[in-house]
Amino acid sequence: MEEKIIKIMSAVFRVDESAINESSSSDTIESWDSLKHMNLIAALEEEFKIEFNEDDIMNMLNFKLIKLLVKEKIT
Amino acid sequence: MTDILELKYSDILKLNQDLETTLQSPDVEIDVFSNIIIAQLKEILEYTLRNDGINAKITIRDYDNIVQESYKVKNSKIVIIFWELSNLIDGFHFKHCSMPDNKIETLIEKVIAEINVVLNQLRVVPLVIFNKFSSLVFSESNLRQNRYERVCDRLNEYLSGKIAKNIVFVDIDKIISKSGLAEAIDLRYFYSSKALYSIQFFKNYSTFIKPIILSLLGKAKKVLILDCDNTLWKGILGEDGLPGIEMSAKTNSGVFFEEVQSIVLELSKRGILIGLCSKNNPEDVNEVLHFHPDMMIRDSDLVIKRINWSDKSDNLKQIAEELNIGLDSIVFVDDSDFEVNLIKVKIPQISVFQVPKKLHEYPRLMRNISNLFFTITESKEDLKRTEMYVAENQRKEVKLKYDNLERYLESLHLQLQISMDDEPSIARLAQLSQKTNQCNLTTRRYSESDIELFVKSPDYKVFSFEVSDKFGSYGITGLSIIKMKPPTAEIDTFLMSCRILGRNIEKVFIDHIINELSKMGVKIVTAQYIKSIKNKQVENFYNELKFDMTLENNVSRRYSIDINKYKFNNIKYIEVLDGRKDNKNHVSSFQG
Repeated sequence: MEEKIIKIMSAVFRVDESAINESSSSDTIESWDSLKHMNLIAALEEEFKIEFNEDDIMNMLNFKLIKLLVKEKIT
Repeated sequence: MTDILELKYSDILKLNQDLETTLQSPDVEIDVFSNIIIAQLKEILEYTLRNDGINAKITIRDYDNIVQESYKVKNSKIVIIFWELSNLIDGFHFKHCSMPDNKIETLIEKVIAEINVVLNQLRVVPLVIFNKFSSLVFSESNLRQNRYERVCDRLNEYLSGKIAKNIVFVDIDKIISKSGLAEAIDLRYFYSSKALYSIQFFKNYSTFIKPIILSLLGKAKKVLILDCDNTLWKGILGEDGLPGIEMSAKTNSGVFFEEVQSIVLELSKRGILIGLCSKNNPEDVNEVLHFHPDMMIRDSDLVIKRINWSDKSDNLKQIAEELNIGLDSIVFVDDSDFEVNLIKVKIPQISVFQVPKKLHEYPRLMRNISNLFFTITESKEDLKRTEMYVAENQRKEVKLKYDNLERYLESLHLQLQISMDDEPSIARLAQLSQKTNQCNLTTRRYSESDIELFVKSPDYKVFSFEVSDKFGSYGITGLSIIKMKPPTAEIDTFLMSCRILGRNIEKVFIDHIINELSKMGVKIVTAQYIKSIKNKQVENFYNELKFDMTLENNVSRRYSIDINKYKFNNIKYIEVLDGRKDNKNHVSSFQG
């Protein structure tokens, strides 16, 4: 799962997979703006066949939280 | 060729990135104008086109600035317009109920005038893909047509008179119907971010409009090559014989082939080249073509035939050679798994389709295939109809015409209500400070209690504004916090919501602030631009206002200006109204 998320983040933000780590967030990834955030959510939802609610979406601004929420949804 | 509908969005992003670096063909610049957020269209459409060798470079232009953007178009080869009915004014999909008739009429007039400006500005663009207005998302369950739908119809009726050689109108309802409404939209983002459509929709949209773009670039499909047995007719000629094959409504299976043949014939009439490629005895097929009573396609409708027992990939290559066309302009239809896969593998440039196992799906597939032969050039009837519409429209022509952007902005009757230290708005001002990224000079985030402190403190001035035009208010969308250090004043915060950009509102706001500060006795105004990852578009804001840059490094710039030397922008078409003003009495602190 973690690998898939990294792949998706790398594709959405156009950064190297190796550049994504535990501390990655919208503050550290330059291209992570509100539009790219929507793209990220869309890609994650499609990949894991899940749906986030508005609060989740607002909060998922770093890699750790994304992992946590995806995990929560798929289990 | 991979069908985009089968790909995941993240795969599309990745593949698109790869193609961007490997494609050698020249760029095709495509600009998208929109009054809703359609961020995901960019990569999906780029990939759809790059997959066909077209090196599309798509730019999604400023949100909700369709008219302003139309004045800026220069090199674009293609412009795509998403003009969303529900956002003609904020919340139009429900506000239409309570709007008086004359307001509705003014709104229609305004939009029609805007359409005129935009299409006039875009007349030099080789292709404009204009999505028709759609009311579907907010009216699908209406038993009776309501006003919202009627406005939609009126606007579309107007559009139908705007047919021109470079414009293709796209019926967006048809694209929505491909996936069904529920799959096509995602209302989660509509209320917060003005985004409406789903990934699924954008995939369908890109697939739908691709033939239009291919046609413009001379890459439309030109030749349709068909197999015979179980493709043109039901049955195997070599086994069933001429009387045994079926292609008319007289038999249960024949009915599908009658319809398919009629669609193919229609293509032939439009100038598409039709040919056969079949493993059969040529004399048997010729007999059918000449003598079978139910055949609609006859020998004279065909430009080429390869009826023999050799490899179909060789046959197709010879067809391309003989007709002197590229392999990529061929579409091939066959019923056999073997042949379909063979061509897919050996000649990937050819678009291959397999006759569906469920025959009732076959006519629909053929109709979809016929879209690949779309040409922008219109028929004589189309042209006649256009003339009729144009004449009709000239009679109704709206007087409003804007020959430049200023005239357009004038017509909006923009009003800026500027408040100072406005206590009731504290919560909204904190929200603006927290959420605004792009048009934010310093990106300092302040909480409600911070803002409250500034509002109440004599050492700060908090300016905010509410914008409205003749159709209503956009709410409080701008904030500036000034730190008073007599005789200097520092612009600590200057920000605006991005949905009101493109109207010179920021210039009016800063004019007003400077003027107020001047009245308070301020002599020098200092300011700062702090680089963030999202605010590049405003980096030259103070330079443009002729502030002196006193310091510049990688992360920020400092500015200063003698208030008497400030050049007011004097934007005449925006009226400034005085908003609420708190009476905190601190002016005296300046007089010492």
